[in-house]
Amino acid sequence: MVTLTIDGQEVTVPRGTTLLKAAESVGTKVPHYCYHDGLSSPAMCRLCLVEVEGAPKLQPSCVTQAQDGQVVHTGSPNAEAMRRGVLEFYLVNHPLDCPICDQSGECKLQDFVHAEGREHGRSREPKRVFGRDDFGGDVLFYGDRCVMCTRCVRFMNEVEQDPRLTVVERGNRSVIDTFFERGLDGTNWSGNIVDICPVGALVSKDFLYKQRAWDLDHTPSICPSCSQGCNIDLHTRDNLVQRLKPRTNLEVNAHWMCDHGRHNYEFMNRGDRIEAPLVKEGDRHTEVGWKEALSTMLDRAREVGGTVRAVASPFSCNEDLAALKAVVEALGGGEIVYRLARAEEEIPLKGMPTLARRRDLAPNGTGADALGLERVGDDDGTGGLETVSSHDGVVLVLGDALQDQAADFAGGASLFVYLGTHASEAVQGGDFILPVTTFAEQEGTFTNRVGRVQRFWPGLQAPGAARPAWLVLGAVASELTEAEPANTAAEAFSRWVASNEPFAGLDYASLGTRGASMNEPVSAAGD
Amino acid sequence: MSDTPFKNPGFAGNTGEFDLTEDQVRGRDFVPSRPLEGGHPSGTASYPYMLPEKHPDAPLFEGAYQERFEKLLTRYPDRRAALLPTLALAQEVRGHVSPETMDEVGKLLELPDAYVRGVATFYTMYNKAPVGRYLVQVCTNISCNLCGADEVLAAFLRATDTEMGETSADGNFTIVEAECLAACGFPTCVQINSRYYENVTPRDVPGLLERLREKGE
Repeated sequence: MVTLTIDGQEVTVPRGTTLLKAAESVGTKVPHYCYHDGLSSPAMCRLCLVEVEGAPKLQPSCVTQAQDGQVVHTGSPNAEAMRRGVLEFYLVNHPLDCPICDQSGECKLQDFVHAEGREHGRSREPKRVFGRDDFGGDVLFYGDRCVMCTRCVRFMNEVEQDPRLTVVERGNRSVIDTFFERGLDGTNWSGNIVDICPVGALVSKDFLYKQRAWDLDHTPSICPSCSQGCNIDLHTRDNLVQRLKPRTNLEVNAHWMCDHGRHNYEFMNRGDRIEAPLVKEGDRHTEVGWKEALSTMLDRAREVGGTVRAVASPFSCNEDLAALKAVVEALGGGEIVYRLARAEEEIPLKGMPTLARRRDLAPNGTGADALGLERVGDDDGTGGLETVSSHDGVVLVLGDALQDQAADFAGGASLFVYLGTHASEAVQGGDFILPVTTFAEQEGTFTNRVGRVQRFWPGLQAPGAARPAWLVLGAVASELTEAEPANTAAEAFSRWVASNEPFAGLDYASLGTRGASMNEPVSAAGD
Repeated sequence: MSDTPFKNPGFAGNTGEFDLTEDQVRGRDFVPSRPLEGGHPSGTASYPYMLPEKHPDAPLFEGAYQERFEKLLTRYPDRRAALLPTLALAQEVRGHVSPETMDEVGKLLELPDAYVRGVATFYTMYNKAPVGRYLVQVCTNISCNLCGADEVLAAFLRATDTEMGETSADGNFTIVEAECLAACGFPTCVQINSRYYENVTPRDVPGLLERLREKGE
């Protein structure tokens, strides 16, 4: 450990810590472009220079290691004058097209110039113009806005390890490009270069001119596209998910996410939802209130009895699945199956061996397994439901839209209850069709492939009367077992999830935004 | 080389101050241009060498050039380090470094194509487009500029009827501007292919071009 003084504050950091990280630990953010936590530091943007007493010149804080007794001034007149000068140079050729730039509002150049730049540039020269270039994939390049931090080049070299990007030409004419027309097509992680671009040089085609950054609400969530469980933020506006961005969690996905997950969000915005509880009367369904729907259903369930066969979905959270399990047990027991689509192969990220787009294309297959659910069906997520469909007792379906099933699904069942978001043909025979929320509209936890239990938060308003499945099923289970209902996801977790052996010892609140592994919980229950 | 008086060796025009033969100036072993078949492998391509005869479709590399390529690989710790001389060798063979050449060089050295492009475009001495038989690089840096390099450059453009960087209609000349050629004592300096012509004035230009057209370098 070394002890140094940064802006008058004494701080002790491990040997080898850079001044930039040491300053961050006392809450001082040193402006920088080329430095990124997940990449090497070339110290080429010259913006993070700080004054170190005794050093003849300003030192780049992103590569200078903290020394014992060092006295560092990040905001000394010298350092500030230097930053003002460097920023002025950055603006010599920068187009200032913020009003039409997607990065506006989350742009580091904008931020730093607002904070410390000059009011007016002194350059009278015409700005050089590159125009824009389609890099292929989802990436669009605006050469004029580039500040040449080369984060994108280093990401492709070091992390994706598919060195397609390079700096072409030199000096004033230098520009980021691929090998002529070769582009980024076929890469699976290049969306990350849009995230790490500090300015609007690399923008997403999907998000182009869609929303302004400051209009978006950010909700911490978990990527639902595979069992890796990447931490993400849902960026929402107008009750629609506008884009997904990776959220830093060094133990799961670091700063990255794959393009497959990044662009798989439209299903969260899908309309044509089931919006009210539907009860079958004769051959048609009638909208009823939740109270009536659930009490009628409970009456029917008590009346018909018999064993239960249930279908769950690996897209449902642990709380939903555990509440379903509780209901099945309360009704006299039975088996619960789930179906899970598997991709042909993993899509690895070469620079991070623990991160890949996994084969299991759902977020909570591990959670379903841990709760004792049985996986059935083929690798494309179809089939396997013959025993459920022909069951003559109670059939419960949660989340699985039954797209591949015929209209007479569970035709012989004494009671067929469907909880889901969309009604396919096979659902039409349901005695009760109950609207539940998607993961984007509710709180809960997913268990990723290595057993890390991670929380997500609601980013969207649920349509109509849709409620989280754990609330609905929890109410049913409580009624059947005459227990207190769970009113929050935390209660649902502690009541139904944590009582299962694999989840024992996990505490909902202490999962936080980082999650905890079910093999080594952060704190034992009863602490 | 010849017994005819070589007026002002390295100079464009005859100022009458020298009256030496080329042999006397350069020595009898001077080879004015590298033989097309590649020359001796000991002469690696670590220095740029431009030939008037350009073969844009020539293979990379064969014969003596293959020998030179292999030789230069032994002089660098890894293949990445050998990229600059390999590009120079490729340019010597083909006259310029085209996208296809970059791709081929990348494959030869097992380097990413984008990286090769980045390096090739960083250096101005690699021609990214075809040039004429004679690449005329006029220094317009400080010393030459003070002595009228702009006029010399204009004279070259006028005499060849081209724009900067363009190749003349007969395919003979490409005129470009160059930064300091390190001949500040003899402004204006003009480099034509691999040879320097010093103290060039606008008046010398037509005769110089004529001489190149007729007799070669």
